[in-house]
Amino acid sequence: MRPSDKTKVRHRRLAHLSLIVISFSLMFLGKADLLALRDARMSSSDFLAPMIDFVSAPIRGIQTMADGIRTVASLRAENVRLQAENDLLKRWRRRAEILESENQQLRSVTGTVSYDNRRPVTVRAVTAPGGSFAHTLLISIGSEKGVVPGNPVVTSDGLVGMIIDVGRNHARVLMISDINARIPVMLASSSWPGLTIGKNSEYLELAFLPAEAKPALGELVLTSGHGGILPAGLAVGRVERLEDARVRVRPAVDFRQLGYVSVLIGGMEGVDKSNLSLGNFFTAIPLDDNARLLEGMNASGTRQ
Amino acid sequence: MRDQRSYFEKAEFQSHLPSQFLVLIVGVVLVLLEVGLAQWPFFYGASPILSLIFMYFMLIYHDELMPIVTVFIMGLMADLLLSDLVGGRATAFMLLSYAMRIGLARLQQSEFLDLWIDFSVSCAVVVLFQLIVFSLINLSVPALSLLLFQVGFTLILFPIGFVVMFSVQRILQSIRLMR
Repeated sequence: MRPSDKTKVRHRRLAHLSLIVISFSLMFLGKADLLALRDARMSSSDFLAPMIDFVSAPIRGIQTMADGIRTVASLRAENVRLQAENDLLKRWRRRAEILESENQQLRSVTGTVSYDNRRPVTVRAVTAPGGSFAHTLLISIGSEKGVVPGNPVVTSDGLVGMIIDVGRNHARVLMISDINARIPVMLASSSWPGLTIGKNSEYLELAFLPAEAKPALGELVLTSGHGGILPAGLAVGRVERLEDARVRVRPAVDFRQLGYVSVLIGGMEGVDKSNLSLGNFFTAIPLDDNARLLEGMNASGTRQ
Repeated sequence: MRDQRSYFEKAEFQSHLPSQFLVLIVGVVLVLLEVGLAQWPFFYGASPILSLIFMYFMLIYHDELMPIVTVFIMGLMADLLLSDLVGGRATAFMLLSYAMRIGLARLQQSEFLDLWIDFSVSCAVVVLFQLIVFSLINLSVPALSLLLFQVGFTLILFPIGFVVMFSVQRILQSIRLMR
């Protein structure tokens, strides 16, 4: 081996080692949730999103074709099903109108203020979760349209997640099924508060329920609105399994079919947005029995 | 005797850079395709690791075209786009490429079945590395069923990927011969 070759090999080894060290350090810097790193990540997503769109166009095409074939094959049965569903929805609409008018009357009697000043904007999901370690979406809307971290993302079925990173034209959504997601919720029929915790799987865990709470199978779980970031009353899911002390909730939204989602912009007036970094947003509630975290309840779930 | 060093140095100067760049582009496109595949409900949360199949093939048969920087960029891009732990896959890929280069001669002479088995181990190690680091940093374990599905489907796609890449290689060689 010539001396110049030896030097080359040495340089190559040094480069290998440096890259491995850089890569290893990035893992810990990433977890530290540094602003610069988040900006870099979002900028790269902003830059690469059109390319992902271009590359996944044939995949979307094949999926659309397969859906089309399936739909044509079951057109008659689908028509009967839709007519039945339409009748049911008409009945529900009438019921909703009655309930809405009743709700307005009650609000006027009690003087309750409604904070419903969020504007929905429907956008396309550019990516879907491709790995088991993170459940996030990239959507085609960014700071130019007024999106800020914390904005809820929904579909007609319920809550998908909330914005965590915003680029100029794209934003990243942390889905409620992600391991870092903690959503303040309540049981629809009994109004007991709790938290859903993502597990990077098809179920969410319903935790921090008070001891007295008795969730029923199939019971609807809604956002409670605690914290002011998410509006109250968005469907999160339904109780599907009760295993000893564990309550499992199946999300209301089928995350595998997310083509379009709606971002609820606005409505965060008065919320301290300076602290909306991932670490502060979703950390587990410390178990301090003296601290009152939700209305009338401490961290252990005891009523106070 | 005439000194031939200058000829060799000239040959080295006409490096593999353009081909390496092309390989990088293909690698990046495969990462993008991986991200795109996740939009298929079937691959939700567990799209096959196509970039690993490509990297494995290139390292065995054209390691000179697959510098460590390419491996790093492919891994890092996958981490950024899949929103995984930044650097997790990049580190795993680089460690694997380092290990593969050590046993390259053995791999080059192996039969396909041995390569498939070796790839299965490599794929499992890459995912296991990510799982361990993720669990240590987040103090939580993600759903293992999705991970198993991801590894399983990648292993199923390995022979197809190999055939496709061999075909592409043959076409490129015939084009070169024609010129």
